[in-house]
Amino acid sequence: MKKIILSLMLGVSVLFANINVDTTYSTFGAIVKRIGTEHVNVTVLGSSKYDPHFIVPKPSLLAKLRRADLLIINGGGLEIGWLPPLLRSANNAKIQNGAKGFLDISHFIPMIDVPVSVSRAFGDVHAQGNPHYSTDPHQVPIIAKAILNKLKQIDTHNASDYDKNYQIFIKEWQTYLTLFDTKMQECSTKKVVQYHELFNYFLNRYNIKSYGNIEPLPGVAPSSRHTIELIRMMQKEGIRTVLQDVYHEKKSAAFIADKTGARVATLPHDLGALKESDTLESFYNTIAKQICH
Amino acid sequence: MTKIIPLSMLFTLSLMADATLESIQKELETQKQKTATLESQVKALSSASTNQSASFSQNAYLPDIAFILDMSAVTRDVNNSAYNKYAIPGFMDSTDTEILFNPNRGFNLNYAEVALHSTVNPYFDAFAVFHLQNNVFEIEEAYVITRALPMGLRVKAGKFRSNFGRLNKKHHHSWHFDSQALIYEALFGPDSLKDPGLQLQWIAPTDTYLMLGLEVMQGNNAQSFGYSENANLLVTYLKSSIDIGENISMLGGVSYAKGKNASANQTDIYGIDFTLRNQFDSYSSLIWQSEYLQREKHLDTSTDKQDGFYSELIYEYNNNYSGGVRYDSITKNETDLSAYSGVDTDNLNRYTVMFEYKPFEMSRLRLSYTYDRSKIISDERRSINEVMLSLNIAAGAHSAHDY
Repeated sequence: MKKIILSLMLGVSVLFANINVDTTYSTFGAIVKRIGTEHVNVTVLGSSKYDPHFIVPKPSLLAKLRRADLLIINGGGLEIGWLPPLLRSANNAKIQNGAKGFLDISHFIPMIDVPVSVSRAFGDVHAQGNPHYSTDPHQVPIIAKAILNKLKQIDTHNASDYDKNYQIFIKEWQTYLTLFDTKMQECSTKKVVQYHELFNYFLNRYNIKSYGNIEPLPGVAPSSRHTIELIRMMQKEGIRTVLQDVYHEKKSAAFIADKTGARVATLPHDLGALKESDTLESFYNTIAKQICH
Repeated sequence: MTKIIPLSMLFTLSLMADATLESIQKELETQKQKTATLESQVKALSSASTNQSASFSQNAYLPDIAFILDMSAVTRDVNNSAYNKYAIPGFMDSTDTEILFNPNRGFNLNYAEVALHSTVNPYFDAFAVFHLQNNVFEIEEAYVITRALPMGLRVKAGKFRSNFGRLNKKHHHSWHFDSQALIYEALFGPDSLKDPGLQLQWIAPTDTYLMLGLEVMQGNNAQSFGYSENANLLVTYLKSSIDIGENISMLGGVSYAKGKNASANQTDIYGIDFTLRNQFDSYSSLIWQSEYLQREKHLDTSTDKQDGFYSELIYEYNNNYSGGVRYDSITKNETDLSAYSGVDTDNLNRYTVMFEYKPFEMSRLRLSYTYDRSKIISDERRSINEVMLSLNIAAGAHSAHDY
């Protein structure tokens, strides 16, 4: 009898023992949900309303980190300004850097824009390269694979389910990408400027040339001199599109658009940053739609 | 390579012209497999690279190093020699005065600080902050914290700033004002509450953040403790935080410190703190932070009962500009004030207003005005006016943004 109750309890606890997965940003959270489905509880730490470099380290995040079985970060220095002290104060051995429940996705991504030399004289440059790789839909399979392997490693019990979900997701995603790439072909002659180099992975993928940034240096607020130079350059090169994110000030882009007749395209940098971007598909569709228009 | 394979396949085919279709297909399969093996070998060889690093080089293991500088230009309507012997009646006499920050009108180089952090091994992180001033080298903090304890526990050991209240843990460079909160200076002196000791913190496994901390410390703090025959200080606190929506967050705490003072009697300090933060967007916020501290210091024949608070409101307009106001007050001062007979010692308080400009992260220019009614200068209650321009930079390793 005792044995039966015990094994029953064990069975029940296994049935309901979802693993808690914290992701720093929402795009990873959505991918985890597609692979983990009912076996995972996903918590996104950094709201896509905010600048991913400047997530407010609210103490409530400590409670979330405290109970996580797996922490998935973007890496490449994107979380350096907010996550390390939280991680140290969350008192959770499972998700410390180096532990089994810590996953840095940037370790799987071929990083672009890796600076030859690094100095803060060049602004807030990331020594590891441009960390905004998740704006490119072709990175999704790489991210998904890394997440799959990690989920299987920390939750062996449900490994076959993860494999199955992954296969389904990847198949869907390949179909989606084929269609997406065809649509993007019409767009390859576009010329753009950006606020911050958030979309380089996307632009490189589809041969869209980015001619400059509204911020003079990464993390440095626009100056009038730099803005005037940018306007002149845009007029000379015939650039008609300004890529704006949701969290930087919008006045500079509006001013530039006014002077050059260019269009301001507001893009989501992460899932849910704009209204029509709360699924993976709609997130990338919105980026494409806004750029190509 | 790609040419050789089809050629060789053709060759094979012609040789076996009369062979059955089946055997050809079999041969093709084998060839394909061979090609795949060769291709993967080529790939593996071309992506591996030889080790080019200098033998015995350990550069990759260097700790994170940050270098923090703080300096100021001050105008004040009190002479330096008089100001450097100020008293806060009931808390510090003119002979106790030790001014760490901005002692002089004119120019001050407050400190050059070196902060180090490194993960020691899978079990410990180590931190050290070396506070350097003219002719002073101080180990401000040097401690290890655990990385691998179970059940939401963490131990800190070494010399560290106590997590009592809200402000005590924070270093000067992350304060919103250049001067220390009055009640902190009055109760703990310019060094705040920091000592060699042990700290244990536990976070409850709940949706709401709930943290319980316990510290055993040497209790060197001369202002409130200072009994030197053994470790005498016990600090405990409970902190919790809730969010309202995505933008509003609150952090509150209650703290208690109990120790022996220099007269070998007990001192009790109670603290309550509350912070409310409203985030308008990534770079703009309004922060209201207040703390109230109360002390009962038992002496041989009497008991000092004192309390006070500060309340500050900070508005960050964007990542370049912010401003704030703070009010400090000593609200109770029941102690032996006979040394100040004939001097008005009531309503010790201070008003501070500041305006900040950060051209970029890691550097900060701050202009502040202080109207200070908390000090006795040359046996006289004085209202001090002070205008200060301070510069703080933090170079090197990226220090995280503060809550």
